Amino acid sequence: MKKNNTLTKWIFNILFIVVAFIALFPLLSLIISSFRPSSELMRNGITFSINWNELSLSNYTHIFTQSPDYWAWYGNSLIISSLTIVLSLFFSSMVGYAMAVYDFKGKNLLFLCVLVIIMIPFEVLMLPLYQLMIDVNLINTYIGVMLPLIVAPTAVFFFRQYALGLPTELMDAARIDGCTEYGIYFKIMAPLMLPSFSAMAILQGLNSWNNFLWPLLVIRSNDLFTLPIGLATLLTPYGNNYDTLIAGAVMTILPIIVLFIFFQRYFVAGLASGSVKG
Amino acid sequence: MAELNANNRKNTLPLVKEKKGNKVLKFFNSQKVVPYIFVFPFIVSFAILTLYPTIQAIIMSFQRILPGQVEFIGFQNYERIFNQAFYKALTNSTVYMLLTVLILVTIPIILAMLLDSKLVRFKTFFRSALFIPALTSIVVAGVIFRLVFAESENAIANQIIGFFGFEPVSWQFNAWSGMLIMVIMASWRWMGVNVLYFLAGLQNIPKELYESAEMDGANLFQKFRHVTLPFLKPIIIFVTTISIIGGFRVFEESYVIWEGNSPGNIGLTLVGLLYQQGIQQNDMGFGAAIGVVLLLLIFVVSIIYLLMTGAFKRGDE
Amino acid sequence: MNRKSLSIFSVLLLSLVFVLTACGGGGGNSAEPASSDDTKVAGSDLENATELTFWTFAGTHADFYVNAAERWNEQNQDKPIKLKVENYPFDQMHNNLLMALQSGSGAPDLVDIELAKFPNFLKGDIQLESLNDLIEPELDSFIAERLDIYSKDGNYYGAPTHLGASVVYYNTDIMEQAGVDIDSIVTWDDYVEAGKKVVEATGKPMTTIATNWYGIWPFVAQRGSDFFDENGEVTLDNEKNIETLQFIDDLVNKHKIAEIAPGGQYHSEEFYGAMNQGSQASLVIPMYYMKDFTTYMPDLKGKIQIRPMPKWSDSDYQSVTMGGTGTAVTNQSEHVDLAKEFLYFAKLSKEGNIQLWKELGFDPPRWDVWEDPQMREDNEYYQYFHDDIFDILLAIRENVAGIRLSEYTPDVLTEIDTNIMHSVLREQNLTPEEALKQSADTVRQKAGSKE
Repeated sequence: MKKNNTLTKWIFNILFIVVAFIALFPLLSLIISSFRPSSELMRNGITFSINWNELSLSNYTHIFTQSPDYWAWYGNSLIISSLTIVLSLFFSSMVGYAMAVYDFKGKNLLFLCVLVIIMIPFEVLMLPLYQLMIDVNLINTYIGVMLPLIVAPTAVFFFRQYALGLPTELMDAARIDGCTEYGIYFKIMAPLMLPSFSAMAILQGLNSWNNFLWPLLVIRSNDLFTLPIGLATLLTPYGNNYDTLIAGAVMTILPIIVLFIFFQRYFVAGLASGSVKG
Repeated sequence: MAELNANNRKNTLPLVKEKKGNKVLKFFNSQKVVPYIFVFPFIVSFAILTLYPTIQAIIMSFQRILPGQVEFIGFQNYERIFNQAFYKALTNSTVYMLLTVLILVTIPIILAMLLDSKLVRFKTFFRSALFIPALTSIVVAGVIFRLVFAESENAIANQIIGFFGFEPVSWQFNAWSGMLIMVIMASWRWMGVNVLYFLAGLQNIPKELYESAEMDGANLFQKFRHVTLPFLKPIIIFVTTISIIGGFRVFEESYVIWEGNSPGNIGLTLVGLLYQQGIQQNDMGFGAAIGVVLLLLIFVVSIIYLLMTGAFKRGDE
Repeated sequence: MNRKSLSIFSVLLLSLVFVLTACGGGGGNSAEPASSDDTKVAGSDLENATELTFWTFAGTHADFYVNAAERWNEQNQDKPIKLKVENYPFDQMHNNLLMALQSGSGAPDLVDIELAKFPNFLKGDIQLESLNDLIEPELDSFIAERLDIYSKDGNYYGAPTHLGASVVYYNTDIMEQAGVDIDSIVTWDDYVEAGKKVVEATGKPMTTIATNWYGIWPFVAQRGSDFFDENGEVTLDNEKNIETLQFIDDLVNKHKIAEIAPGGQYHSEEFYGAMNQGSQASLVIPMYYMKDFTTYMPDLKGKIQIRPMPKWSDSDYQSVTMGGTGTAVTNQSEHVDLAKEFLYFAKLSKEGNIQLWKELGFDPPRWDVWEDPQMREDNEYYQYFHDDIFDILLAIRENVAGIRLSEYTPDVLTEIDTNIMHSVLREQNLTPEEALKQSADTVRQKAGSKE
């Protein structure tokens, strides 16, 4: 029996090594390919038969020395993503929290709204929203890009689930101590929700960092482009820019991976406790 | 956490004011009013960013919209929706939805259960490895998959099937392989996320239940059937619902591979049709009508699913 | 948008501003856009320069306009311009432009609109400025077919970027190996016979066919047919078009002298790579493709000969004006006259046309510059190809076919890209007749519902 058990352990561990390899392989292959001459890469695709002699750092020297645009896009993406994270966590957590701990009229209706928003494809709303942005003069601004992401339904949903598990006794105790309702939230409850904040920071950061269609419509000038749009401009047959494209693609993934590794412990814990109530 | 500190700082503002103590503040601090203040931003944003555009989209679907000429045309847009391209898009989106639901629900459950068991080591590493693809933007993922499934016989996908003795395939030009690329791409990106959801669910199953089941002589399958599944049910419902919605909403996977028009419409999805007709071909009223039909489709299918699984009976708490 | 929602919106905005400022370091300065040294701007150092914005989807075009603006500022010191060129992804630039024109604000002064997208902008009340006052006085100097593409009801809305005369590029290495004299190929029948020799002698295809409209439109138009007639009726499935598609289908599936283009089109890296390695004996594509040769196919230098298209038995045309971008001035511009004047300077004047050749390697739409000594100065294109490029063009000047655009042209092109070529050439599950009829009905249905 014991021998049998070690054997299954081996099998499963190997299975997971294979699974992890499959998961990481596309990214690894992109990283390796980023050292290949880029037009050759576009012609033949990613391949196992790598010619080791042709590998060079030239794509990276190109991106660091000759692509000031790229770094401007990078900066824009960083600014927009961090602002989105801060703002959306602030608003969404308050909404989710209130829906979980307070009783008030229209609460269920509100929750239904959250679910409805999750269901509506953004593309359906895109045209009217775009019109709206023009009417209020938010075209070509950071705020215009961030606005639709600021109260994020999935984040609200998640914070609500998480806050349902908070100990409400603490609130009563704090009220007796003379804390206002706002004080209770910011000083006592929000810190308790810390794991959920890191989980949502990653998800929101991810959404914003990778957001493509909406910024594309809102942003008008090259110096406001975010990374995904900037990269898409390089994907055209009208200019030979693949050098920046491939190395640039690798560099977009890095900050997110760093963010993830940094927060990942909280992230998993947060996600785990948050979805308890499913 | 920087944002929390910021929040704390901001909070001192109302607190300081409050020392002046008066009715106004009492009003704003009453438990009846506070929740509304908390949810106010959401209500406003819902009204402006969802409700208003939805109503607008519905209105647009009854109009013919050309620059400087907007005209009400009744149901004409709806009458011409149901053509060949629409059915193609509907089929593609539905097939994609079914495949992704199947793959992205069953495999993550199995992986999550293994990761939760004592059988596997280096759990953190495997968990992260599975999750990292989700961090890749769709544009980058599109670049990768186009290069992996390139036409050249030296591209990886062709090298792999060549190893098993098959002829090179023009992946991006056949209906079956086009769907395959989209499904593989989605599975690759979302597998890790769903594993995490299920892992979270699994951690809430009391270990004693397994022990008592073992004492009753239950085998592995019976344990899964009678202990694991019932506890995972809410999460399964959640993940399945999200996957159904996401499946019908598929667009970007197709867009990054074919940039709009796919050969033989093998990559045409409902949202893709909306994009093509409404935006690329400047027929916004028609695009809006497709959007409304899509919206109804998603509502109906998700609600049928939720009714079948009895999700509504649980109430929201 | 009504006042009520506007006020709600401003409340939200105010609360946002509050949050932004309250976050200390979070707001304020950071809302300033990051600037980069590489945004393409000309004339930024000039005082009193009028700012004009320009959208394009091609980096090479962006450079061209910036250079033009610099020349303009030298020659017109009384009315300097500051030209800001924004380079967008192809699809998105056209989408954004549509939306901006639709909603009445946000459009640039000048914009590049690609041929296949142009009809989208000629629907409803046209939001582009007529260029007739610039073009009409010199109409005779242009190949008129090119200008007609960007026109509606007698108004010209687009300044062409090139004539885009379709020609055949022959790979002389392969043709010699097969023992075929390219000047003996006069008709398409000759072309097929030559192709058979090439395949037999070298094993390489005579040509490759793109599965987008480049694989059919030039042939159809050269035959004097098109997808629409002069009344705008769909003629996609007429007898000539069916025959022409049958001819192309035969090249691939019957005579086996043509293959489907790697990557399905002529502008993909897969295609460039294969072509560069000498994988096919000839290629039918407009003149503007010279630039692609010099950029992406360096190995073919000195091995490519340009010739007019072989003739059909029922038509005299030897070339078709194809592809190409029309530059337009939008009605949202605050400086319409200046924008038009600059556009004339950059692309419609003799000087501008010469620059189109010198900088971009494009065949100028004004034939009166073809003999200009400046055009004959040695450059990389003459070195790559041969010296008599423009003599070939001059000889066939009267025989360049035009194409007819309709507001439903984008729908036809979508049908071609997605259905027709795919099912006829690749899948072979529809005959040319079936495929064309099916697609024509789809377009007719759409057009009919709008009558």
